[in-house]
Amino acid sequence: MSDNLSSRLPRVCVVLFLLCATAMAAGAGEIKLEAQLIWGTTNSVSPNPNHKPAQKDVERKLQEQPFKWKHYFEVNRVTLTVPDGEQKGAPVSKSCSIQVKNLGGQKVEVTLIGKGKETGKITQALPKGELLVVGGNAENATAWFVVLKQAE
Amino acid sequence: MKQELQLKLQAYLDGELPDGEARPVAGLLAQDAEARALLAELKNTRAALAGFEADIKLPESREFYWSKIEREIERQSAMIEPERKFASPFASFRRILAPVCAIAILVIVGLVAIRQVDFSDRRGLEVKAEFVDGGALTYRDHTQGLTLVWLPYPAESEAALTDTDDIL
Repeated sequence: MSDNLSSRLPRVCVVLFLLCATAMAAGAGEIKLEAQLIWGTTNSVSPNPNHKPAQKDVERKLQEQPFKWKHYFEVNRVTLTVPDGEQKGAPVSKSCSIQVKNLGGQKVEVTLIGKGKETGKITQALPKGELLVVGGNAENATAWFVVLKQAE
Repeated sequence: MKQELQLKLQAYLDGELPDGEARPVAGLLAQDAEARALLAELKNTRAALAGFEADIKLPESREFYWSKIEREIERQSAMIEPERKFASPFASFRRILAPVCAIAILVIVGLVAIRQVDFSDRRGLEVKAEFVDGGALTYRDHTQGLTLVWLPYPAESEAALTDTDDIL
């Protein structure tokens, strides 16, 4: 039996090696991101029934900021997978979209487009757990946020 | 020669024939050279076997005696086996291949794990923000791992990124 095992072990090792190498190659350089449009308000209930409470980690991090808004609702969420060195875009709302370029090493260049015009560009590393947030004033003393993070 | 005669010769040699039967056999032997040759052969065989009929006693029990032989065979086989393995280059290659593959797998698993875990110093995370309007504020919260770019325009501003219609 031990002879049988020792004769099979190299083959098992080779198969596992190939599986691991394939898995690594498949995920090499690719970055999967989530872009969320968040609405910040002082009200605990959103008037829009389609709104969902923001993800716990996103809500907690925004609540830690010196904002007056304590309640955050997810209006929309899009996922985009960007291969190394490539650029992909996704609409976050009717008037806002983002373009993400994967610069490698988890570094991204995010271009913000509002109402068809390029508003700005942010370049930074976006490791897992890190949030890149762009925000501004909305009507009735509320706020909008575009939150970009690596997908879980 | 008939088998019956052969058996009689054996019985004659062993002194098992009665006188009435022994005498004709003795007469046959005087006349028949083949019968004499067979008798001589039987005598030689009996003499040879007599040397092995000594009552040999084993110094220990039968089971112990044979188990000693078995152990000795196993010991000698074990001495021969490594030489055989060493003699095959493929066998030694296989012996090396298994640990090398195991190490390679561990290295790959480690690399995959490192890819999942971020060891970068987030305090040193570089943020570069360029906005069309110079009023944009960039703020970095190292504790929370959050970069905030705030566009301080009024909600109805043309420079605002999104409309209230988009939200509500």
